[in-house]
Amino acid sequence: MRAAMIPLSTRAGPAPSPFTPAQQQRFDEAFERAVAKYPSDRRRAALLPVLHLVQDELGWLTEPAMAYVGFRLDIPPVRVREVATFYTMYRLKPMGRHVIGVCNSVSCWAMGSEEILKGCEERLGIRKGETTRDGQFSLEEVACLAACGTAPAVLVNNFTYVENVTPQSLGALLDSLKEKPGQAMAPEPRKLDSEGPGGSQATPRTSGRAALSEKV
Amino acid sequence: MDAPVKILSADWDTPESWTLAAYQKSGGFQSLPKALKMQPQAIVDEVVKANLRGRGGAGFPTGMKWNFVRKETSFPKYLVVNADEGEPGTFKDREILKRSPHMFVEGLIIGCFALDCHLTYVYCRGEFRDGPVKRLQAAIDDAYKQGFLGKNILGTGFDLEMHVVIGAGAYICGEETALLESLEGRKGYPRLKPPFPANAGGGLFKQPTAVNNVETLANLPKIIEKGGDWFSAVGLVPKNGGTRLFAVSGHVRKPGVYEAPMGITFKALLDDYCGGMREGSTLKAIIPGGSSSAIMTAAEAGWASDFDTLKAKKTMAGSGGVVYLDQSVSMAHALANVMRFYAHESCGQCTPCREGTAWLSRLVDKIVAGRGEKTDVDNVHQIARQMEMKTICALADGAAMPAKSYIEKFRADFDALVRS
Repeated sequence: MRAAMIPLSTRAGPAPSPFTPAQQQRFDEAFERAVAKYPSDRRRAALLPVLHLVQDELGWLTEPAMAYVGFRLDIPPVRVREVATFYTMYRLKPMGRHVIGVCNSVSCWAMGSEEILKGCEERLGIRKGETTRDGQFSLEEVACLAACGTAPAVLVNNFTYVENVTPQSLGALLDSLKEKPGQAMAPEPRKLDSEGPGGSQATPRTSGRAALSEKV
Repeated sequence: MDAPVKILSADWDTPESWTLAAYQKSGGFQSLPKALKMQPQAIVDEVVKANLRGRGGAGFPTGMKWNFVRKETSFPKYLVVNADEGEPGTFKDREILKRSPHMFVEGLIIGCFALDCHLTYVYCRGEFRDGPVKRLQAAIDDAYKQGFLGKNILGTGFDLEMHVVIGAGAYICGEETALLESLEGRKGYPRLKPPFPANAGGGLFKQPTAVNNVETLANLPKIIEKGGDWFSAVGLVPKNGGTRLFAVSGHVRKPGVYEAPMGITFKALLDDYCGGMREGSTLKAIIPGGSSSAIMTAAEAGWASDFDTLKAKKTMAGSGGVVYLDQSVSMAHALANVMRFYAHESCGQCTPCREGTAWLSRLVDKIVAGRGEKTDVDNVHQIARQMEMKTICALADGAAMPAKSYIEKFRADFDALVRS
């Protein structure tokens, strides 16, 4: 499941930006807001929020992007990856434009989440952990969403809750998502061979992405 | 049934209860000026009298925790809020943030004043970003506009900055020291204690820190308004003050978040609040306080739900996430589901937990797949016992408790699946 990894430096240092100018502007503004929440000698604490910002722009955390975050926060890139690999909301490879997360913890399970998961697999033609060939959908099983009273619950693209899901409503949900652009994904780097510490390989770029599609 | 006291959810049915206007109309933000005129220690004393217990899971007396922080001489001090709600079966903090965020904000300001804290963080789980966090952030923005936050609050000279930070998907970050690690920008590995977060060296940025749950703090305005003695008396059993938000799910007629006095029995909660079991369902088992708590049988539904009663009964009140399960559930299959969760969420720092949760999950999976033997059931129980009290945090114990109790109380469900 893990993406192939290039060696990352254990020292903080300059790294090129992975962003287009428009992305860079949005990122820089949000970066300043994120860092301003902490005492001035504790900027590094902003790592998690900043990784969220990168993912908002690129759809997933590319290796050059992780190196860049390390540069901006003065954190060794390998430490950035340590954090990025620990938390499940961070994506280490390109995902589908719509990521369907089916909660399968105990309350949802008792209310039929296995059936919802199976329904997704059948309708999308993929197993959990996979992405459809057209890049439209990824499917995963997620841990308790704190929506147990409205079980079964489904999480779309990390942040949108869909509750009281039934096998019938699931079909309508997937159909409605097909009509929407979803989250744009930065392309996967063509090759993953080492190009030295700091990740100096060509930076993948997205184009034509309007804004983060939070609402689905 | 008398009309029960509602401290937290009284206004949840009001239209747009999450707005400042609605909160102020029902008396909101009147406790804050009163609290700011009190001595900080007097507020803590009131919380001690209230017998307010931490609603996140451990039930630790909030006043005692605050006194630990107050005794420290190292500054700055921090109050960090645990809004990383993720214990399976628990969904009450999400409701507070969505339906009465201002009440929580007012409580948090009062708490910070009591602890002489001038910078506070609310750590919310990442998945809440577009829902509950938006409501919370709007409430914080309102509070700044009203002069309840920022410099020289209500002319008292008290300064407070409040920030929301979101996590990124890790159950372990609900453990208070893992939460602090995460808030400092690292992976969520729980810290070895002592030093405890309340003490210098153990908290946020190594400073004395109180980590409190959302629901715990939301009680503060009422405690200031009506006094600790009043609050304590609302609870049905000694040393368990106030009400509790029970997040009820499973095979009941009306699942949802219900506010009931501390110590209500599980039977009364089911029948008087949730409309009983759904059509055609018979109660089989109760998860009393999130999936980490030891399971209860239908015959034990008369137990009181407070922290001390359940501890004496070898389970726990935990996070208030109550799951009622009916006769259709095989408890072996339920355990397989619960064990898969802990195996996935173990952070991997301590060997007994990292290996133990994975073993438990594989063994119970084998049993429910029909490939198990009687010794496998015994081994699950044995492994669970060996995991207890051996790790830095309580996640391993939280996996061991269900593993042991499901087998002890529903052995027949396991034996039916294995070769003898």
